[in-house]
Amino acid sequence: MNRYGNEAIRVERVSKRFRVLPIRKQATLKDAIVNFQLPWFPGSRRFIQAVEDVSFSVPRGTTLGILGRNGSGKTTLMRLLAGIYKPTSGSVHVSGMMAPLLSLGVGFHPEMSGRENLRISGLVLGLTPRQIANKMDAIIDFSELREFIDVPVRTYSSGMYMRLAFSVAISVDPDVLLLDEVLAVGDESFSHKCLDRMREFKDRKKTIVLVTHDATLIESWCDTALWMDRGKAKLHGPAERVVDAYHRDLHSPSMEGVLLKESRL
Amino acid sequence: MFRALYRYRWLLYELVLRDVIIRYRGSVLGVLWTLLTPLLFVAIYIVVFAFFLHLNIPHYSVFLIGGLLPWQWFATALQTATNSIVEGRVYVTNSILAPVVLVVVPILSSFVQFLLSFAIALVVAQFFHVHLGWSMVALPLLFAVQMMLTMALALFLATLNVFYRDATQLIAVLLALLFYLIPIVYPLTMVPDRFKPFVMADPMATLVLSYQQIFYSDAFPNWPFFLYALGVSLGLLYLGRLTFNRYKELFADYI
Repeated sequence: MNRYGNEAIRVERVSKRFRVLPIRKQATLKDAIVNFQLPWFPGSRRFIQAVEDVSFSVPRGTTLGILGRNGSGKTTLMRLLAGIYKPTSGSVHVSGMMAPLLSLGVGFHPEMSGRENLRISGLVLGLTPRQIANKMDAIIDFSELREFIDVPVRTYSSGMYMRLAFSVAISVDPDVLLLDEVLAVGDESFSHKCLDRMREFKDRKKTIVLVTHDATLIESWCDTALWMDRGKAKLHGPAERVVDAYHRDLHSPSMEGVLLKESRL
Repeated sequence: MFRALYRYRWLLYELVLRDVIIRYRGSVLGVLWTLLTPLLFVAIYIVVFAFFLHLNIPHYSVFLIGGLLPWQWFATALQTATNSIVEGRVYVTNSILAPVVLVVVPILSSFVQFLLSFAIALVVAQFFHVHLGWSMVALPLLFAVQMMLTMALALFLATLNVFYRDATQLIAVLLALLFYLIPIVYPLTMVPDRFKPFVMADPMATLVLSYQQIFYSDAFPNWPFFLYALGVSLGLLYLGRLTFNRYKELFADYI
């Protein structure tokens, strides 16, 4: 046991700010020279507070679900957990090997065959060539794409593409798994298989953090849930309670106006 | 940084291979393009400099190839590596891949291209009765120094390009200008003496001269010049690595 005891993840008062540039123009060298403005000069730009003062911990072997409306800071939080973003303040500790699955098909190239893409994608995810060679058959079987595995993935349908990407993603065997909206892909039978694989992860006492809009998934899968709202942790606790409160809030009159506006965009 | 490269060596290998394969997959002439492109340049330089401007150099085509091929490796590598972090945003924002891998891939894949064209050029050179001899053993040293120099500059430029996207345009212009300041299409002897130190201050110029010595005159490089290029490259590599490491944690925020 490390000094965090039985915790796989501990997030302490984490905030993340981004500098925003005027949409009209990307920062250019010309601007920098003309205006003597460097992007890392503090105070030279406006900021967006994507995540603000969020604290929580995830006990080893449990599953945390994160929910919230679009733009509430879920993905930023996941990237902070993965160590892709450095927190503006606060700290993130993850113990054990972590695999972030924040997007499917990282490292895929349309001109390469399914098999070639599996190999590169596996290496990006941190597998060794030997592990990939050993798992290759299982991955291909899982994807149910054996007859297409040696043709370029640009010929795949988007469903096939997702299946291939998910199959390699799920073949990694980390202690801590981060899933950002990548849980159930493909048709019904395939997404059942994905969920079965997740159950297996859970049974083997792996820690999982998942972001999803599917509240029923959170209720049936997660031990605890975290509700993000405008960058802040609005509620953190047992999954059912959080989902309940989230639903009530979602259907409250004040919220429906917002949703209507969003759907018009 | 070098530890990260070692850890991702297999990915590096696969990505470089993919870069090279994709360039040829589905093309009719395939690998021949690696030779065809420089040869077309050689042809036009011969027309312009040998016929129009009456530059009188024996075996001018061989002289050209000796400097042109290494230069093309340098230029292609820098051009693509400058944009590598921005272009690899999928990796930077969604995986924990060390970003230095993205910078090294284009350098290595253009090195492979260079080796292919260099090998073909060596064969072609036999038809021009060029004597290739023992000085060839010095080539790996030149490759190593050029690799370090390219890597050093690429680390700076790739970092710069994350914050200022016009670094890509800037490097394109600089490379086009630099090409004429380096004795590639003309010999160093034609440069007036008082300008020579300025030309030779550029480590890429000393490297190009060393290549020409080997390829054209079968002579070993001028060692003091070579050591100068090595020293400058090592110094720049140190600074490039410092810059890259200092700013790499901001990459995901800005791309």
